[in-house]
Amino acid sequence: MAASMKCAWARCLSTILLNSTKHRCQISQPLYASCSNISGDSGEGGTDQTRQEAGPADDTKKHRRDPGKAFTDVRVQKILLRLTGLDLDKVYEYRAAKGAGVAKVALMSDQQLKKVYESASYKALRKLQMPPVLGAREPIDEVLSEDPELEGLNTSKLVFIDISQRVPLKKRTIVVREPNGTLRKASWEERDVTLQKYFPQSGRKIGLPRMFQQDNLECMLDDGKHEYILNRACSQFEIDDPEYIRVTQRTYEHIDGNGKFEDLRSTRHFGPMIFYFTYYKKIDKLLVAFLEEESLEDSLDLVKLYHIVHPSCKSAEKVASMPDATPLEIIRAFAEMDATQKSLVQQAIQTYEKECDSTGSTQLRR
Amino acid sequence: MALAIRFALFGCTNRPFFHIVVMEKRRAQRSGKIKEMIGSYDPMPNQDNQKLVAVDFQKLQKWLGFGAVPTKHVAELLGLGGFYPIHPMSYIKAKRKRTLMEKQVADMQAKEETQETAAIQVNEDTQPDSTEDASQ
Repeated sequence: MAASMKCAWARCLSTILLNSTKHRCQISQPLYASCSNISGDSGEGGTDQTRQEAGPADDTKKHRRDPGKAFTDVRVQKILLRLTGLDLDKVYEYRAAKGAGVAKVALMSDQQLKKVYESASYKALRKLQMPPVLGAREPIDEVLSEDPELEGLNTSKLVFIDISQRVPLKKRTIVVREPNGTLRKASWEERDVTLQKYFPQSGRKIGLPRMFQQDNLECMLDDGKHEYILNRACSQFEIDDPEYIRVTQRTYEHIDGNGKFEDLRSTRHFGPMIFYFTYYKKIDKLLVAFLEEESLEDSLDLVKLYHIVHPSCKSAEKVASMPDATPLEIIRAFAEMDATQKSLVQQAIQTYEKECDSTGSTQLRR
Repeated sequence: MALAIRFALFGCTNRPFFHIVVMEKRRAQRSGKIKEMIGSYDPMPNQDNQKLVAVDFQKLQKWLGFGAVPTKHVAELLGLGGFYPIHPMSYIKAKRKRTLMEKQVADMQAKEETQETAAIQVNEDTQPDSTEDASQ
């Protein structure tokens, strides 16, 4: 009784929130607006010719288009939220952490229970806030003054930080006087370390934690600790830090390689992961996984997301020309025209159709 | 009654650490009569060869408005940080250190040269004279 009630409330709440004005997808907007390195590219689509096919290692190149603009699109956010889902059991799973208290047991009426589920679901949506997917930040390269006559005064660098009150971390002035007399703005790495020393944030270490070094990261990924790695990366790095992008993208690739997409379902990393695959045109395995689960709604959402992020792709144009297409037709169009692993996706579609025919149901199933 | 922005030396033996404070110029720095602490300066370089200086510039400007005067060394530091123009003593100290370094390098080179010439002479002295041996 309780389980079905939970599911019903979760679904009900998701639809309420998706339609409500209070929960407009503006979680990422202020953060996005404050990132001053975002290039002024147009729109959320862009042409395929201007974009370069790239793996995780190529993403720190300067000419890379910025995914942030596409990610903060309201339609994209809605789809990602829908795909993430809301599994209260998973969100409120016990985690051995500081401050984790003993569970309370209470006797309640049905009405009281409803209210508790409602408030728990609203709070759970806060836990499911997605860390935005941005392009790597441009390096800081500004020299304020050159004074070669100061050569010899100091053998070490002098780092000056402004500790005035009520200044946002991103806007704090940090400058460095080099031994050769140059006064320059501190680099991103120097900024991160110095800010952590003077304005420490919990969960962050000064310098790169050993866990994120390549070999150790591989060990952890093989152990299956994807969610832990992503959570820790989120607390350790800024989201436009090249290190954060490297760690998260490596994790997503590992998940893709092992097909363990469901590990991240109903966590705050599911949306960014889906977006990563969509943006870099690697959704084939994901689509196959959704079809194998027989969730046509999820598969359709994924293809629709692909069409929003890449509006000039061939299947998007074809689907635009057939307004009354069924979900399966849309997915088939994508498989024919834009899938990189065509045969895999087409086979999955065929299997799904067979399953549907055998169970006698062609309705949308979640 | 001279309000100053000065260093207050804390830390311990062989480990200096300065707080940048606003207090009377002639007072003992650990007397406890600091009006406000507006920053710090660590003169010992860290692992990344950096000396960290933190200054609350808003408070600094407020106290300058009240008539506080930075001491020589604080003014030098703020000059290096870009808040003030570079202090003349910074240029002078830099020049002095450069000449000292150059002198040391020149002395080292001279020393090496004299050592080389001395070594060559010693070799010549210890080599046996061929005519003397043949006669015996």
